[in-house]
Amino acid sequence: MSTGVSLMLTLLFLTLIKSVPIVYAALGGVISERAGVVNIGLEGMMTAGAFSAVVFTNLTGSPIIGLIAGLFFGAVLGFVLGFAATFFKVDQIVAGVGINLVALGGAAYGLVLIFNQPGASPQVTQLAPEQLLPQITVAETAMIVLGLLCAFGLSWFIYRTPWGLRIQACGENPRAVTDAGLNPLRLRLYAVVASGALAGLGGAFLSICEVNLYSDGMTAGRGFIALAAVIFGRWTPWGATGAAVFFGFFEALQYVLQGRISWLPSDAMQALPYLAALFAIAGLVGRVRAPAADGVPY
Amino acid sequence: MKVVLRVLAGPAGALLLAFVLAAVAMLIAGVSPLDGFGALFSGSLGGRRPIAETLVQTTALLFPALGVSLAFRAGLFNIGAEGQLLMGGLFAGAVGAHFAGPGWLVIPVLLLLGMVGGGIWGGIAGWLRARFNASEIISTLMLNFIALSLAGYLVAGPLKSPLASGAETAPLLPSGWLPAFPTIGSLSFGDTRLTISILIAIATAAVLSFIFTRTVFGYELRAAGEAPEAARRSGINMPRMTLIALALSGAVAGLGGAAIVTGVLHRFNTALSPGYGYTAIAVALVGDLNPLWVCVAAFGFGILEAGGLAMQANAGVPKDAIHVIEGLIVLVLAARRYFATRATGAPV
Repeated sequence: MSTGVSLMLTLLFLTLIKSVPIVYAALGGVISERAGVVNIGLEGMMTAGAFSAVVFTNLTGSPIIGLIAGLFFGAVLGFVLGFAATFFKVDQIVAGVGINLVALGGAAYGLVLIFNQPGASPQVTQLAPEQLLPQITVAETAMIVLGLLCAFGLSWFIYRTPWGLRIQACGENPRAVTDAGLNPLRLRLYAVVASGALAGLGGAFLSICEVNLYSDGMTAGRGFIALAAVIFGRWTPWGATGAAVFFGFFEALQYVLQGRISWLPSDAMQALPYLAALFAIAGLVGRVRAPAADGVPY
Repeated sequence: MKVVLRVLAGPAGALLLAFVLAAVAMLIAGVSPLDGFGALFSGSLGGRRPIAETLVQTTALLFPALGVSLAFRAGLFNIGAEGQLLMGGLFAGAVGAHFAGPGWLVIPVLLLLGMVGGGIWGGIAGWLRARFNASEIISTLMLNFIALSLAGYLVAGPLKSPLASGAETAPLLPSGWLPAFPTIGSLSFGDTRLTISILIAIATAAVLSFIFTRTVFGYELRAAGEAPEAARRSGINMPRMTLIALALSGAVAGLGGAAIVTGVLHRFNTALSPGYGYTAIAVALVGDLNPLWVCVAAFGFGILEAGGLAMQANAGVPKDAIHVIEGLIVLVLAARRYFATRATGAPV
């Protein structure tokens, strides 16, 4: 195989792999914002997922249990934000910032407490690390497929099921949901818990599928990029998925270009996905509309 | 019950919560809270050197917290103080490495450059919001990461000192160093890291307080934050206000970066901030976005930051427990109303 083709293949598979955590978090962002809660805490929920996945894999020796733990602890933080955003009517952005601080600090604290080593955890068993193709492992492939199923499932759920339509109504006009005899606060809470679970799964992917350890700051703003993907994808599951893959492409590009363009050093190229997200949200002037009650406490 | 909840959701409740949680964090680490708090307070307030270090941390938090307060007052969520701090430090450090001259000239120029660097970084977010209605929440966050990679690239490459082993700029000439904190009676701070930058920070707070309460601009800024619709209808140019508020907010944070470069590090590297810009959000909220109370809050958090290290070294409680506590304080304070409405904001 010529170098050009193999490079393109590497870029393709790397794009898919790098997109996975952003896709999960972005889908989480979609369901949360469709229900009317802006989830700035996605980053923290990913961190919680990444860290707890490593802790539980280390504890049980089973990365599957680690994955479930990642999902669970993401959901726990989702519950905290959801509960605060509904029954306590807090400012959602401020609360989300708090969640992020708690998760990042908590993981750093936990590293010292549990593993007695700051900075990074020891290595744990990686989830299905066998190579399916030279570029991709079995676990990564499985998580890509699962991510697509989640996008499909979420799309079906919010457009085609009564509960999905009610969740949408919570984001557009929660008063109408009350008038219909339902409790929009409870629906919002469920949506944010689901959002946290998805973000936690994305975080777990980072720590036990892509590599086999947790290190401080490993989420590196992917939760925030996911928020940009939600906007860029116009609050739809497939749109957000596409946007997440778009940002994942720039992250992959950075690895592929590394050392190949002499005048563009790797430090500067690390900015690529963030620049892409910045341009994406700026380029949408007047062409997007958020759910009407998005971010507004009810 | 309602009254109790309301009090607990205020700064007093947050303080109480901080103590309870700190005790819990110590117990989890298997340390008696008595020993833990002992180490925390003796490491932050127990003597001349610890107090000086607490005030160094106070200063580092105060500038970005004031910047954050300014933006929040205007109804803008500037979560980018971290990046603005870094850019301010970068501007000051890049020029300071090559700028020889008398101190009365060099120091003000470097501090001003810090404001320019931070102001540009905040201004970009302001322009994107004013021109394209791009959420400042996301743009300021993205700009934090962009600042880090830009600064990382520059100090590893074009700006790297040939003499330094790590990635950092050449050191500032001593004429560019901020003078040590003045001697009070027999109390001298010459051998500590404490400089007059804390006085600059407090003066900045006083100026901001004056602007908020005594000037037309301050009135318009608060109006834009508290009643955006009314402000717009009364003729305030909202896009312009957005741009100015975010640029000014960034400039104040950037001044803090330059103060760290000229006062503490005497050079620039990306380890300038261990997350001051994020902690600053907690400081601003605890200080109720009021510059004078923000000073008090910054001192409280300065105690935590300085004492946290001592607590880790002497009592064996990981210092990151401090950041968990800070986050929980923010969560509690989120229950208060800081903004009139989010409905008119950019899509997040």
